[in-house]
Amino acid sequence: MASLLSFANVSKRYGDGGREICVLDGVSMEIDAGVSVGVWGTRRSGKSTLLRLAAGIALPDSGAVRFCGRNLAQMSGGQRSRLLRGEIAFMSAGDWRAHPGESVIDHVATSLGSEGLTMREARRRAMQVLDRVEIGAACAEERTTALSLNERARVMLARALAREPRMLVLDEPALLPNLGDRDRFYALLRAAAQERGTAVLMASEEMAALQGVSVLMSIADGEVVSTDRSGTVVPMPGRRRLGAERPAR
Amino acid sequence: MRGPSTPMRGALLGLLLERPGHGGDLANRLAARLGETWRVDTNDVYRLLEQLEKTGLAQSRDEPKRNNHRRTHLVYYPTEETSEALTLWMETLLPREPVRLGLQAKLSVAREQDAPRLLQALKAYERECLMLAQLVGPTDGRGRSWTALCMDCTREAVYAQLQTEIDWAQRTRRRINEHLEQAR
Repeated sequence: MASLLSFANVSKRYGDGGREICVLDGVSMEIDAGVSVGVWGTRRSGKSTLLRLAAGIALPDSGAVRFCGRNLAQMSGGQRSRLLRGEIAFMSAGDWRAHPGESVIDHVATSLGSEGLTMREARRRAMQVLDRVEIGAACAEERTTALSLNERARVMLARALAREPRMLVLDEPALLPNLGDRDRFYALLRAAAQERGTAVLMASEEMAALQGVSVLMSIADGEVVSTDRSGTVVPMPGRRRLGAERPAR
Repeated sequence: MRGPSTPMRGALLGLLLERPGHGGDLANRLAARLGETWRVDTNDVYRLLEQLEKTGLAQSRDEPKRNNHRRTHLVYYPTEETSEALTLWMETLLPREPVRLGLQAKLSVAREQDAPRLLQALKAYERECLMLAQLVGPTDGRGRSWTALCMDCTREAVYAQLQTEIDWAQRTRRRINEHLEQAR
């Protein structure tokens, strides 16, 4: 059976002036349904690129990214967009885009627009998922502009969960100044994903944000290192870098 | 396998291969290489040199002192087996702790041909740090008691240390790779 998400010898390069920077260098890995994977890396380590490739927002220069066996590069832009609105939910704290006059519950409910639900049904489902992330009824009726950073992160999570995606791709989902709020956010995320059997691929500069994941990875200079030795996530550099992986003798 | 088991023993092999020396000289060179934080004890160095000699990884000769030819001291030389023992140590996995001293000792005396082994060791260390991070139990973020706060602070300390270690291992790999690329 095909894994939920697979990277096969994936490489991605960006131009930097006259130079070419290799962000991912022949990365291979597989993620099964229900598994949570945390990617730790410093700024500009390539973790956002890895996530954007996983969500089909960016395409690899070489190699293949497959979701449920489908090669994302062979899908049309429209098909990838539908995938992102359905089976994959992508969230980044920097991507907060709410209409100024919109209420919290409507902000979540409108994300269900293509589900064929009436507005009343969509609002009911939105309230259920807001409740799941501990946003109460009073806060749900507030304007989105009135939200604190902590509430905003939870509302974004609710919006990501509302469609019941098969995989959550989260790029630095909660940069919260209060560490207690941060820990609670991630506890809610873990519980929601576990309850629904949702796979999670999440990146952060803060290792504490990745606590409780099934597999922990680090990324730098195009290469990934993983705690997984034989199971669901198997990062294997496809092309060796300068003999780094060669046996010593 | 007769390879050295402690970081300092391994580093001594590297120094002996670079050039022979008496105990005090090797202790000074070791201190210069490893930095202040190691606090190299000259007595430990003498003891380790004796052990290396007993296991055939070093040999000593009584030679006159440079500044006083009437007096002698033991000068240690590498043997035919020293180089292989150093290579074996470079391949030895480090103990499972977020402590880089063993790797630092290897780096301090590594030969250029050890680069692949160093890269391997750095990657293994990075993975070990990730595995240690996974051993830290998650918190539900509900803790409001003093004890819960202290436990959360301890978690933060572990994560902060491991992040620093992984960052260091990644930077070191980058520098070695850059050097190898330039040398091509």
